[in-house]
Amino acid sequence: MAVKRFTKMETKSADDLVFGDAKYPVSYGLGMKAGAGFVVPEINFAPRPGAEKNPDTLRREYVDYITKDIMDRAVTLGFPAVQLENEWIYQLGNEPDKFAKPVVAGQKEVMKKYHDEYGIMTAIRHTLPDMREAEKGLREGMDKKSSYPEKVIESIEVAAKNGADVLSIESMGGKEMSDYGILHQDIRAWLFGIGYLGSIDMEYMWTKIVDIAKKNKVIAGGDTNCAGANTSMFMAGGYLDKDIPRTFAATTRCIASARTLVAIECGATGPDKDCGYEGPILKAISGRPSAQEGKGAQDAHADLMGNLIASTCDLWSNESVEYHPEFGGSSVQCWLGVIGYEAALMNTSKQLKQDKILRDIYAACDSYRSPEAFCLRYDNAYKIGEAIVAEGNSIYLRSRAAGIKAAELISESAKTKNGLKLSKHESDMLNKVMTDLKALPDEESKFVDQCLKAYKDVQAFNPKNYEL
Amino acid sequence: MFDLSDIDFEMIFKRYDILVEAKESPEEIAAKILPKDPFLKKVAEDVVQMRYKDIEADTKAALTKFSPEELVDKGLLRGMEVVSELYGRGIYYLPQVMVASDAFDLGLKFAERTMKGQFLGKGKVVMHVAEGDPHDIGKNIAVVMLRSNGFGVIDMGRDVPVDDVVKTVIKTDAVILTGTALMTATMSAFPKIAQKLLEKGIELPFICAGGAVNRSYVESFPLGIYAEKASQGLVLANKAINGWDWIRIRQNWDDIKSGKV
Repeated sequence: MAVKRFTKMETKSADDLVFGDAKYPVSYGLGMKAGAGFVVPEINFAPRPGAEKNPDTLRREYVDYITKDIMDRAVTLGFPAVQLENEWIYQLGNEPDKFAKPVVAGQKEVMKKYHDEYGIMTAIRHTLPDMREAEKGLREGMDKKSSYPEKVIESIEVAAKNGADVLSIESMGGKEMSDYGILHQDIRAWLFGIGYLGSIDMEYMWTKIVDIAKKNKVIAGGDTNCAGANTSMFMAGGYLDKDIPRTFAATTRCIASARTLVAIECGATGPDKDCGYEGPILKAISGRPSAQEGKGAQDAHADLMGNLIASTCDLWSNESVEYHPEFGGSSVQCWLGVIGYEAALMNTSKQLKQDKILRDIYAACDSYRSPEAFCLRYDNAYKIGEAIVAEGNSIYLRSRAAGIKAAELISESAKTKNGLKLSKHESDMLNKVMTDLKALPDEESKFVDQCLKAYKDVQAFNPKNYEL
Repeated sequence: MFDLSDIDFEMIFKRYDILVEAKESPEEIAAKILPKDPFLKKVAEDVVQMRYKDIEADTKAALTKFSPEELVDKGLLRGMEVVSELYGRGIYYLPQVMVASDAFDLGLKFAERTMKGQFLGKGKVVMHVAEGDPHDIGKNIAVVMLRSNGFGVIDMGRDVPVDDVVKTVIKTDAVILTGTALMTATMSAFPKIAQKLLEKGIELPFICAGGAVNRSYVESFPLGIYAEKASQGLVLANKAINGWDWIRIRQNWDDIKSGKV
């Protein structure tokens, strides 16, 4: 399928961005709807270490314990809908037919039983592991040692054929370059890695995913720049962390949004993936439903936008929790309670027509907690979206535009009395990012030539992975 | 959107990092560590200030007065010591450490040219990312930190099979092993490695770290020592080099972390 670039905003205005409503809602699974006037909790989980010992132990963990516990608790608490997300562990992806097939089928069987008995809306997202390694080769036929590209495609097919409702992936294209960019505080390298190489790899990967989804009549959800922008965000961390400046991380996130958008341009319909914090920008541009995670994902990590990021979500996720007992039940049951009640609050506000008030309270709470949160606030996300579509046809220029717009928004806010506060290092880095991005050439070919020369020795970088 | 200008954000969140921004200047901190000799000082400052262009000339100048071993020990490594101190105090961020270590590497290469053999450093460390795990940024940071602090690093890369790790430890006669994993399903390689090493009669500190890894898990198998961050791995490795075995390091982990021992 041909890639259709976004050159205009599908969402009319920033004010139209609100949780639970997307311009293009999606129906799938067992009565599930996303972006159709309500928010759905999406619970994600990981098996206990050791459960991967053999296919039987792994199936039991996922199906008999985790899935059953989730469905039990969803009914116990009266949640009208619940979505599950199975982020595949390595063993599932490495031998999909042997390990994954019984898990995928078994989970759906349990969900169907609860759907038939109680009428609960439910669906499952399978997020396939992108095991590909740049040094071995990212394209089919290149990795002679591990055949990872082939295994990724096989995993997608096994999921689609055996019970997945939504297909997602955390694709890794450009990571070798973005890691270098993060560690050397080199925004040009990051832009090249994620904005350019990442976008090329996304097109390769998502053309295949959309094709498999269509053949199997399931939903092609969306991607996330977990491998790049989340690495950046977590390294920037909280107020005790000193690894990289948060102004750098904020800029990388906005550049990443231009790359994650490619999934939708290839035909993905959403809901996109929760750990893609770039979701508000994607939703603003495409009108597609968005899954997000924030305060309900403290089981997996801390971030500086726990409330703000809920402003525009259609599914509200816990990111991922390892299965284990808690006082209140198993971990998946407890965290489903946390995200399910938050979704109930959002849905109540919608019924009372107070949803935009709640959205703005969420947004206000974390507006200035970090530059990244500020950029992802719905009004700013919209502005970054506009910068991207203005250069929509060039994966390079739109990525650069997103980065420049982010830096400008942060800079303007930091000049106001009650706006963002920046440390000296954050401020210095912001100036450097702005200068570096503005100094880049206006022609894509010049930029690519420049980067191929400058970064030819970056570890694991092989232009052939991107047909360059 | 509400008007946010009247909100008292002090009651919502506090930028503690800005409140405690370092008062001491980098120059004042560096002055306490830098060597006094002007030749060595110049080399160390090249590392601290990431001056690639100068390091060749300054290293050559220092080699007219000092042996290459002295140059590494009292010049280049002293520069990295300043960098580590600035990083620990939150004045330098990680990318500055990485770039400074590139300058260190360059200086080391010039020094090695005049050495009789390769600079072997404090001891050999085998480093890897668990089988099935492609996330290697943490390991790469740790590699740089250990290498630029005088350790001889054997970097096995990512997605490394258990048996390959065991073979490399034996073959290289390593004194420390490190492993990182982001995912719970891949970190289960660590106890397997520890078991195989013990079966072959090898005991060495096995420093484990990564997103999914936690102290309780690492201390559930022999040899395992938990590291929260790459910088902590360096502190633990220094203990191992100073003769502490894995049991003693594990028993004193809290005191090592807080800098008491």
